[in-house]
Amino acid sequence: MGGASAKRKKEKKKDFQKPKLKVGKAKPKAANSTDTSFKAKAIALKQQTLSTNAPTVEAQCAHHLGLLNHKSDTQRRDSLAYLTTVMSTHPPDIPLPQPSSVIIPTVQRLILDGSNAVRQQLLKLLQSLPKNDIASNTDQLLLHTRAGMTHLSTEIRTFALDVLEWLLASAGDEVVSCAGGWVKTLKCFMSLLGWKVETSGNWTAPKSFGKSSGDSKIQVKQMNALTSFLRAGLLHSQTAMQVGNGADSFPLWQTEHHMLSERSNVYAHLNLFGAHRDEEAEMYEDREDRQRVFHDRAEAAIVAGLEQATKGGGEQGRAAASLRKVVKEGMIDYRT
Amino acid sequence: MKRKIGALEKLDADLTSLQYKVRRDPASYLEDHQQQYMQYETQRDLLLQNPSTSDDSGIVRLSDLVDFLAHTADCYPKSTSQFPTDLIQIISQHHDELQPDLRDKIVSNIVLLRNKDIIDSSTLLNTLFPILVSTSSKSLRALLFQKIISDLRSSNVKATNHRLNRTIQTVLFNLLTSDRETTKGLWAVKITRELWKRQIWTDAKAVDIMKEACLSENEKVLSGGTRFFLGGDKEREEAAEDDSDSEGEIDMSKMRHQAGITKKSKKKGREMKKAAATIKRKERKKSAPHPLNFSALHLLHDPQGFAETLFTKHVQNTKSKITLESKLLVLQLVSRLVGLHRLTVISLYSYLLKHLTPRQNSVTSFLAILAQATHSLVPPDVLEPLIQKIANEFVSEASASEVAAAGLNAIREVCARQPLAMNDTLLQDLIMYRKSKDKGVQMAARGLLSLYREVGAELLKKRDRGKEATMGLRTGEHAERRYGEEAAGEIEGIDLLEQWKEEERLKKREAAGLPPDVATDEEEEDEADNWKNWDVESDDSDSSAGWINVESDGEDINISDSEDESKPSAAKKARLSSSTPGADATSTKSEEPEIKKLSKLLTTTILTPADLKRLKELQASAAINAHLPSAKRAAFLAARHADEAITAETIEAAAAIGKKNTREEKIAMAKGDRDEKHQSTTARRKEKKESEGKSTTNKEKARKKNFLMTLGKAKGKNKRSLVDVRKTMLGHKERSKRGGKRGNKGN
Repeated sequence: MGGASAKRKKEKKKDFQKPKLKVGKAKPKAANSTDTSFKAKAIALKQQTLSTNAPTVEAQCAHHLGLLNHKSDTQRRDSLAYLTTVMSTHPPDIPLPQPSSVIIPTVQRLILDGSNAVRQQLLKLLQSLPKNDIASNTDQLLLHTRAGMTHLSTEIRTFALDVLEWLLASAGDEVVSCAGGWVKTLKCFMSLLGWKVETSGNWTAPKSFGKSSGDSKIQVKQMNALTSFLRAGLLHSQTAMQVGNGADSFPLWQTEHHMLSERSNVYAHLNLFGAHRDEEAEMYEDREDRQRVFHDRAEAAIVAGLEQATKGGGEQGRAAASLRKVVKEGMIDYRT
Repeated sequence: MKRKIGALEKLDADLTSLQYKVRRDPASYLEDHQQQYMQYETQRDLLLQNPSTSDDSGIVRLSDLVDFLAHTADCYPKSTSQFPTDLIQIISQHHDELQPDLRDKIVSNIVLLRNKDIIDSSTLLNTLFPILVSTSSKSLRALLFQKIISDLRSSNVKATNHRLNRTIQTVLFNLLTSDRETTKGLWAVKITRELWKRQIWTDAKAVDIMKEACLSENEKVLSGGTRFFLGGDKEREEAAEDDSDSEGEIDMSKMRHQAGITKKSKKKGREMKKAAATIKRKERKKSAPHPLNFSALHLLHDPQGFAETLFTKHVQNTKSKITLESKLLVLQLVSRLVGLHRLTVISLYSYLLKHLTPRQNSVTSFLAILAQATHSLVPPDVLEPLIQKIANEFVSEASASEVAAAGLNAIREVCARQPLAMNDTLLQDLIMYRKSKDKGVQMAARGLLSLYREVGAELLKKRDRGKEATMGLRTGEHAERRYGEEAAGEIEGIDLLEQWKEEERLKKREAAGLPPDVATDEEEEDEADNWKNWDVESDDSDSSAGWINVESDGEDINISDSEDESKPSAAKKARLSSSTPGADATSTKSEEPEIKKLSKLLTTTILTPADLKRLKELQASAAINAHLPSAKRAAFLAARHADEAITAETIEAAAAIGKKNTREEKIAMAKGDRDEKHQSTTARRKEKKESEGKSTTNKEKARKKNFLMTLGKAKGKNKRSLVDVRKTMLGHKERSKRGGKRGNKGN
């Protein structure tokens, strides 16, 4: 190891040489220093609020509404719970901290949420909302409900029925008369129950993928929901009865027909600005229209399905009987 | 950020497994499919309420559903009949608002539906194309462009889909003609160019589209169009070459070897079969005749009108505000057309006259354009002032050597195409520059001189003419060609063929013992036979196929002298062209009757393919005989095809000759393209082996083994008894005999 080693020694030494520091010169950079500077068009600093007084209820509600997008299930549920408490403890005569027209569009997509706890909490929140505000948001809510009813997950499908029941209870008329509300929902029910108008062959229908339709409990629930849906759609509504008795205000008969309606978007049925609607997406505002469509599209299937269900007996049979009763009552004047 | 899907959703909402099951057994899962379809419909309705929504879970779910339905749409054609139109409607109405992920998903699913043949190509392209033109998103445009090209490609794979091509070409054409101001037409240019490059569109209609693009008012579009005409064909050739280069990638022997070693499976077998099929296909493709593709410039309708409109619209028009660069492109195209089709655009030359000063930006391009626009039908008096101006402005003692060289070179290029544009005083003046000190100028002047020795020697002073030209002038061979005069058309080398035929005939007659002059029935029969079996003659008649007889000049003369009396004079002319000019000075007097005889073969017979093949062979052998420098020069000029363009580099080339290179440039030149580092043969072999994925030998492994790991064994070896050592030695010997531990065979 003669000359080569001297050279190697020198090279080795070079690695560990201490850089000389000089006055007035910038300190030499280390070999492993990393340049951490960066360029950005805009820098957003997330900042916590620094105000000393506690946030108002309105602000808190808005905050929790924002948290509904949170990725954690618990956070979403807790935010819903907070909103529920605020709504339910709110005195009825003062306006809500956040209007329903803000709350409903934000929370409605949680109908399809993956977590059961979140969904249950959502139902509680919906129930705590004042009933009058629901009517104007029915079509959106119903869209999400139908999405839930057709969902692959059984639990979400069942939950959607709960939402539908609540919807029917709070704004039954709007549900059955909004665009697509009657026919499309009926179709959903038919596919849920597995009742078909025409059976293509005499083979037994295979058990469906991803759902346990054989579970009689669920079927009972489905039939009950269908019962209340048909009741809302096919029977005479109470509000319709009220219209008739304008006799007491003698000279001003039927004034209410000439007044501006209290509902929003009164001329929705004219569909002035939306896309073209086919038969399914059409609005069916009259009871007679609904009866006709029901007769064309679903009645035969329901009657056939009911026969099967009645044979099952027990709770299923009872639900089937009540459903049959509603169908009969609803269609009684159609036939005559 | 995508929201994570919860465990519950995953368990049930597993669309992939449903898709798998649906594809296996569509009938059983009809109901589930319909349910998913309804789910899709509700999700779609939700989306349409607010297309720009950024609700992650909804979008993810919808795009999953769209994916699922597109993949299974072919199983349920009836229930999903509305699905394609749905997607098309969504994408065409809301492509600007949709989230990029969902948008791309929808586009690719529409393409998937096309691939499954649920919608047809024209629907697809009619959907994608308007979006491509109108969208502001760059990534979407890139995606759409790629999809459009690939769809057009795939629908033209088996056979040319004329109908589709025609509709799309019409769409592109209309796009260009309807809107000449905006850059929208650029897409038409891009698509056409890409398809031209891939040889999918090779017809006149595609060229028409580009022609329209050239006439656009938008600068981008117009330069795209002109670039296509100037470089599209070259690009196509290069792409074709690349294709054939990149094909030999499968190493069949390696695959076969590996198949022998590795585990045999169905998949491996399939792969082998596939590879064999591709190789076979490629070989067939290689042996297939080269597709006859016309260049775009040749497919143009009405080149005269096109050149005129291009020139008046973009160059002469004072209102057009295109940059000099684009203007040069247009001028290049115009001059290319003029040169190639021999058009007459007189105003072009007066326009160029204005710009031929050394101070003009990129003047060499202008010079090249002038040279390109010159052909033998341009009136000499139009060109004369141009040449005079170049000579005045560029070629003088005062101007820099590069400038003078460029000027001389340009003059030479112009005069090579129209020799009549030169007068004797100017020429003699210019030729004096061959005494210049600068090498570039010297070479350029020499080039001009040698050009005129061939095309117009009488313009030169007597002492400059050189031997060949002087003799040519005296014999009248170098007659000046007049304006508009064309050479009589003939097939090159037809004299050779005729001579050969004559010889063959004589041979046959000698063999039959007949007098050489009288025609017989037998011969006519022979001719008829030739027609019957089209190219048999080329097979059996030529015993020395593939061999070329190279004859020295002297021998050639000797043979011709000895047989001169017995042969008809037609053979003489044939010899004329190949023998030296000194030798045939005597026979020039009888030239006139010979020319008439020459054309006899062409007017009396129709050449069979076999004849043409023979002609080619004769030509090749004759070419080898021609070693004279003048022949070489002529061959070089002939090799430069009229289709090839003259660029500024051609003009500048002379100036570069005299330039001294710097040291770095010299080193770079010496190195050439070899930029790889030096390696020993062993190292190269080793690298090759490693790259092929072969393993190392046991010897190599032993050599590479860590020293410390071998220590223990080595220590033990020293302590062995003599008996042990003997045992190991014997064992080693035995093993080497057997051929290793495991032995060569089963013994």
